[in-house]
Amino acid sequence: MKVMIGLEIHCQLSTKTKLFCSDSIENAEPNKNVCPVCLGFPGSKPKINKKALDYGIMVALALNCKINKSMFFSRKSYFYPDMAKNYQITQYEIPLAVDGFLETEDGKIRIRRIHLEEDPAKLLHVGGDITSAKYVLVDYNRAGVPLLEIVTEPDFTSPKQVREFLEKLSSILEHLGVYDSSREASLRVDANISLEGGERIEIKNISGFADVEKALNYEIVRQKGLLRMNVKIERETRHYDAERRITKSLRKKEYEEDYGYIFDPDLPEIEITEDWIKQIKANMPELPHDRVKRFVSMYGLNEYQAKVIVYTDKYLADFFEECCKSYKKPTEAAKWIITYLLKSLNWHGISIRQSKIKPKDFVEFLELIDKKVITERYAKELIKDYVDTGVSPRKIVESKLTKIDDSQLEKIIEDVIKENSKAVEEYRTGKTKALEFLIGVVLSKTNKQADPKKIREMLLKKI
Amino acid sequence: MVISKDQKLCDKMKSVKEFLQRAKAGDIDIEDFLSKVLEKTEKIQEKYQPFITINKKIEGKFSKKLFGLPISVKDCICTKDIQTTAGSKILEGYMPPFDASCIAKIKKEGGFILGKTAQDEFGFGTFCTNCAYVVPKNPYDVERSCGGSSGGAGCITAAADFPHIAIAESTGGSITAPAAFTGTIGLTPTYGRVSRFGLIDYANSMDKIGVIAKEVFDVAFMFSIIAGYDPLDSTSQKLPEEDFTKYLDKDVKGMKIGVPKEYFGEGVDERIAKLVWQKIKQLESLGAHYEEISLPMTKYAIPAYYIIAVSEASTNLAKYCGMRYGATEEIKGNFEEFFAKVRSKNFGEEAKRRIILGTYARMAGYRDAYYLKALKIRTKIIQEFKQAFKKFDVLAAPSMPVLPLRFDEIAKLKPIENYMMDILTIAPNMAGIPMISLPAGFINGLPAGLHLMADHFQEGKLITTAGAIE
Repeated sequence: MKVMIGLEIHCQLSTKTKLFCSDSIENAEPNKNVCPVCLGFPGSKPKINKKALDYGIMVALALNCKINKSMFFSRKSYFYPDMAKNYQITQYEIPLAVDGFLETEDGKIRIRRIHLEEDPAKLLHVGGDITSAKYVLVDYNRAGVPLLEIVTEPDFTSPKQVREFLEKLSSILEHLGVYDSSREASLRVDANISLEGGERIEIKNISGFADVEKALNYEIVRQKGLLRMNVKIERETRHYDAERRITKSLRKKEYEEDYGYIFDPDLPEIEITEDWIKQIKANMPELPHDRVKRFVSMYGLNEYQAKVIVYTDKYLADFFEECCKSYKKPTEAAKWIITYLLKSLNWHGISIRQSKIKPKDFVEFLELIDKKVITERYAKELIKDYVDTGVSPRKIVESKLTKIDDSQLEKIIEDVIKENSKAVEEYRTGKTKALEFLIGVVLSKTNKQADPKKIREMLLKKI
Repeated sequence: MVISKDQKLCDKMKSVKEFLQRAKAGDIDIEDFLSKVLEKTEKIQEKYQPFITINKKIEGKFSKKLFGLPISVKDCICTKDIQTTAGSKILEGYMPPFDASCIAKIKKEGGFILGKTAQDEFGFGTFCTNCAYVVPKNPYDVERSCGGSSGGAGCITAAADFPHIAIAESTGGSITAPAAFTGTIGLTPTYGRVSRFGLIDYANSMDKIGVIAKEVFDVAFMFSIIAGYDPLDSTSQKLPEEDFTKYLDKDVKGMKIGVPKEYFGEGVDERIAKLVWQKIKQLESLGAHYEEISLPMTKYAIPAYYIIAVSEASTNLAKYCGMRYGATEEIKGNFEEFFAKVRSKNFGEEAKRRIILGTYARMAGYRDAYYLKALKIRTKIIQEFKQAFKKFDVLAAPSMPVLPLRFDEIAKLKPIENYMMDILTIAPNMAGIPMISLPAGFINGLPAGLHLMADHFQEGKLITTAGAIE
């Protein structure tokens, strides 16, 4: 069954100040970063943050878009408690840029438009979720944070492709230095999905790429079920409940919402000159696409490795390059990063930047393997502890090797043999698995402070 | 430092010019002067009601250029810690946390904010009768309107028996109408010349802060203080600061005056037209030349203006919903019910009418036919004026088509008849060109106004021309 998906992506730009006033966008106590402009006080007037325009132009260039020579801001009117003015300053007729694309493994995704707008305030639903809360608290720190809205054509054919696109996009935004992925809900997605024979369903406001994929997978299953039972799928807006991993109906959409757009008369036309674009082009940082190529040619990685490292996130690529400065086997580093470090980070649900992993420690870790101080098998275990605790692998190994001396270990082993006579007997009758069990018991009694290799040797001598 | 004070000085002194000279010389005890001014203001308030709020706190540094000169401010202009309502119940008790940029300038130059003058709610009116608080009465006849929407500004300027200047605001004629009805002088500057930061919006693309005063000098003097670039208003124009009083030294010899025939047509009181022609002839006698011209786009101005104005106004008024400031109601039901209750109860009838009209004009399906078309008409009107100003220095016309109307006459006007009263002021206001209204004479004891218009940023020419025939 043919699936069509299109995205509207809202990305918070990491400027220092808000889009139309000089308040900081840093995290703060609720309602600290506010002023008459972003609170919509009578008489206040918006003033465009030029940096946000620079950032927008950079993204438009990176996504192969046409940039409009002059642009306007518009007022999008609707009443909602998260709107300080009950209209949002956005772009309507003439957005920043149009007609771009981004390649994925399964084909090109066309970008319809990119425009700048202000983020509304954040709502805190107290005593329930969006449909059941008793009341709502409003935090205007978020009101006026610059948002870049990127709208794609409905070119996606699977949730997996959506995820790939989002990861790629996020890496581009990070490489451009216009977006901070560590901020809460800094990238939010509205996904439109329709199955052959059904109307378009919109799932609003999903943050997290994994959640986008899950929400879409859920929707496909749900809609297929309905179609199979000959239930008509009507246009509707749904909300993704990340905890229960389901989508819930917010409202039926019988007609297009009417936002009564007018040009914002407080903000005059902005001209984007060739010179302006030229200047930005001249200062564009290296894009992920070029970085992948460079990783292949410079470090000898295969394309798969280069893509995983670069597209996972910019900071992982930075981490890799930092390691390669002192560690001269890049492919070996790449292997350990992709196969084990990344797996462990994912298991903890954190990014390299959120972890305590340092390039220097990681290089030492790789050297421990190279010098055969630790076995590869042990190294795989060690990396989990490393991600978990942030203690450098060298220190973990050193402490394990030194904390328990041989006589202490011997005593422990003797005790274990006494307490586990059944297992000892089993080993003697040929069940080799029993030995592994005994090693495990010893290891846990030493609080994993002893070298398993040594335990094995000593155990074998005793039994 | 106490210098010899003439205790009766305050009573005798009427003109701003004299006040400034004497204050500079140190002849005036400012605090004493201001307390007398406040006493007089209370009496005027009892008789004519020009104020929504009178500022009784005499504090500040009264030196620099203004020496404590009393300045009244239209209520839609934010004054820090002085109630600012824009004439609406929905902002009752609202104390702005900041000064409008023009107020900051006035305070910096040592002006005293005398109070906040009455206006039609959010500027929605031509007669200052759509008022949530007080309706100012015309000092020439208390049964008659002061004009609007800056009615309070015109009223106090005409009634003040002490030196004073009013800061007013115009979107479609709200400075010209009260100036004409109260026999005062009203300057509406070029759009973007005076910062709008701190002005409570009616229609942002047309709102202009200006001045109403008794003499052309006062207007030029105050305009010099409040004009200038302000980074807080993105539509503010980057022009050098100027002392506009210097234009009073120039004469009108060789000046070319255009007289647009559409401004003397149907609906314009012939007696007013006659007075205006007398003034044009007076200018001719001083060496100016005049010629009759035609501005055929004028007839499209009113519908186009009202579409743009209500479209913008209806979005500007959306923010008043009882959540953050101003009037509020008991929190009950969902947010839509709550907003509806606050807005239904606290907006006046005309505000509601304009919100509904504006929302309609912006709706998908109507937007192209109304809002976008109106924007195109505005561009054409601007082009027509630009064309005229290639040939003429100023255009001359009557300010208002009628003499100050009686309140009972106004009450009988249908909304459309009411809107038609703006016929002479709408086009120049839409085009954003500067204009000045000054007395052309009196008919049965009621003032009539002469309207002069000039090209963008040519306020100097208006001051020269008005000064010559004042």
